Amino acid sequence: MNVDLPAGTRNYTYAQDMAIFRTRTHWGLFLGLLAAMLTMPLYLGNYWLSVANLIGITIIAATGLNILTGYCGQLSIGHAGFIAVGAYTSAILTNRFELPFLVGLICAGIAAGAIGIIFGLPSMRVKGFYLAISTIAAQFIIIWVINHWNSMTGGFTGIRVPPASIGGVSFVSQASQFYLIVATTAMSVFFARNLARTKAGRAFIAIRDNDLAAEVMGINLFRYKLTAFFIGCFLAGIAGSLLAHRIGYINAENFTLMGSILYIAMIIIGGAGTTIGPIFGVIFIQMLQQGITLISPTLESIFALPAGFTAGIGPMVLGLIIVLFLILEPRGLAHRWTLFKTSCRLWPFSY
Amino acid sequence: MTELLQFVITGVTVGMVYSLIALGFVLIWKSSGVANLALGQLVLISSWFTYGMLVQVGLPLWLGFPAVILFALALGWIVEKFALRPLIAQPILSLITVTLGVAFFIEGATSFIWPKSVAALPRFFPQATVHIGTAVVSQEYLWAAVISFILFVLLSLYFKYHRMGIVMRAAADDQLAVQACGIPVTKIFSMAWMLACILAAIGGILMSSIGGITFGLTETGLKAFSVVILGGLDSFLGAIVAGPIIGLAESLGGGYLTPLTWPGVREIIPYITIIIVMFLKPYGLFGEARIERI
Repeated sequence: MNVDLPAGTRNYTYAQDMAIFRTRTHWGLFLGLLAAMLTMPLYLGNYWLSVANLIGITIIAATGLNILTGYCGQLSIGHAGFIAVGAYTSAILTNRFELPFLVGLICAGIAAGAIGIIFGLPSMRVKGFYLAISTIAAQFIIIWVINHWNSMTGGFTGIRVPPASIGGVSFVSQASQFYLIVATTAMSVFFARNLARTKAGRAFIAIRDNDLAAEVMGINLFRYKLTAFFIGCFLAGIAGSLLAHRIGYINAENFTLMGSILYIAMIIIGGAGTTIGPIFGVIFIQMLQQGITLISPTLESIFALPAGFTAGIGPMVLGLIIVLFLILEPRGLAHRWTLFKTSCRLWPFSY
Repeated sequence: MTELLQFVITGVTVGMVYSLIALGFVLIWKSSGVANLALGQLVLISSWFTYGMLVQVGLPLWLGFPAVILFALALGWIVEKFALRPLIAQPILSLITVTLGVAFFIEGATSFIWPKSVAALPRFFPQATVHIGTAVVSQEYLWAAVISFILFVLLSLYFKYHRMGIVMRAAADDQLAVQACGIPVTKIFSMAWMLACILAAIGGILMSSIGGITFGLTETGLKAFSVVILGGLDSFLGAIVAGPIIGLAESLGGGYLTPLTWPGVREIIPYITIIIVMFLKPYGLFGEARIERI
């Protein structure tokens, strides 16, 4: 059973029905979360702060993929490629042309979106596996161009990226980057949440559920599929730009096919087609990866495991988790979260 | 001219191995509608297993190859039974993603068990080079082509005359009708996976006898996708025809386009082929065009 509101709360107006924060408790929890987020640099060390930054950036990218795959149903296994487009656009604009960071950020989004539209064009004629393969092809073509366009991208050696700066403020330390990333992430998630409730968002869902029926109902498939590709890849580009400015030096090694697959895994594990899903998925996968990186060398030395253990255990665990989630909880962590909230609202009379 | 002949021979022979691996994909797609994106990883782990059997354990060839075939059978059975079987009749998104999970797992397992990144199989083909016209070709290529060809013939005989082969063709045609005849469809699925794994293993052995065992073998799987896309997802003939075409495009493009473009253009020719086919003829050369306008 799904209970959206606490007992006794009724919606009497349209505004109430549409509100994201409906009750005082919602507002309280939201402000509490906000306060906790904004004070995070005070009690987190640099290491965990950098993990938090990475999580924030990945949430932006996963939110983009969620709009494309989760809402619109267009499976893309080339997301890391689109992130690379954003990262390199921003890097080239700020490094080679010495444009300000904000210009680079916006252009990164637009460039990635444009490339996304180009590789999304096959979605007009094909779907499912065909589209998945053409996005894999997109990933390889993008990475190949990056590796060989030496004069612009620096080829295999990569390109140096200046730190982000807005006005006179330069985001060098982890804490300052944290605020930049939290702000961007919050905007992206808020945008995604609201997009799902607009005409475009409902059109995406209709296309995902049955594209034929959607077209019969007057939804312009061509327009909305490409819109989904643009928005999904735009967010990927934004994430790429932030990533580039955060690590300061990028090459194509940062954007592998395995990375693309992990983004799919994140939205599946979190729950595709929900706003909260990608956030759960990203945090889950990133924390798992951190945990594996921390634990595996210790395990290796204690149990005298073979040398490949550290390299192999990560993909093995992730692969296993993808398979298990698909079999046991295909609706992802978001569904569990809904069940948990419902049981809290009904407690102690859960019948 | 010598150069051209050389490119054609290597391209076509390597392409035939791609066909072999691609046949495994078509087999699974036709019988169960699952898009197996773990193809490259299946090739990778079987090649490493061959290395393990022949070099690390030191088995003789006549014992090593049956062991690899047994391993491939077991691998196919396990993957189908534990990853795909619970997801029967799920949306295509889940079916694709689950094979990606399997791919991840196999790749991790491979680098866990064989941490080395490069290895070479013992040379089991005669080493003398062969002169064909003016071209000089090492025998691995020719043996690869011969073995692939023999397997094509065996497979088509299997599908034409063997009871299980006929059942698999029937299942590809109409699953419901096959089930109504009292044939367990799940058995057909696991049969398809086991056959696909054997094809991937043989393809892997042939590829790694040519180029050694590297992580690049996973890309052989990705190239097999371009073969199935070009040939048509549901066509055995398409896979057999498209493999040499892709191989040829790869070796000719690598040979003649490199001076005109950036080096390494060879690597992306299969992917560019995919994109072009998507735009022009998405259901491939021999694929059945479903009349579903989207």
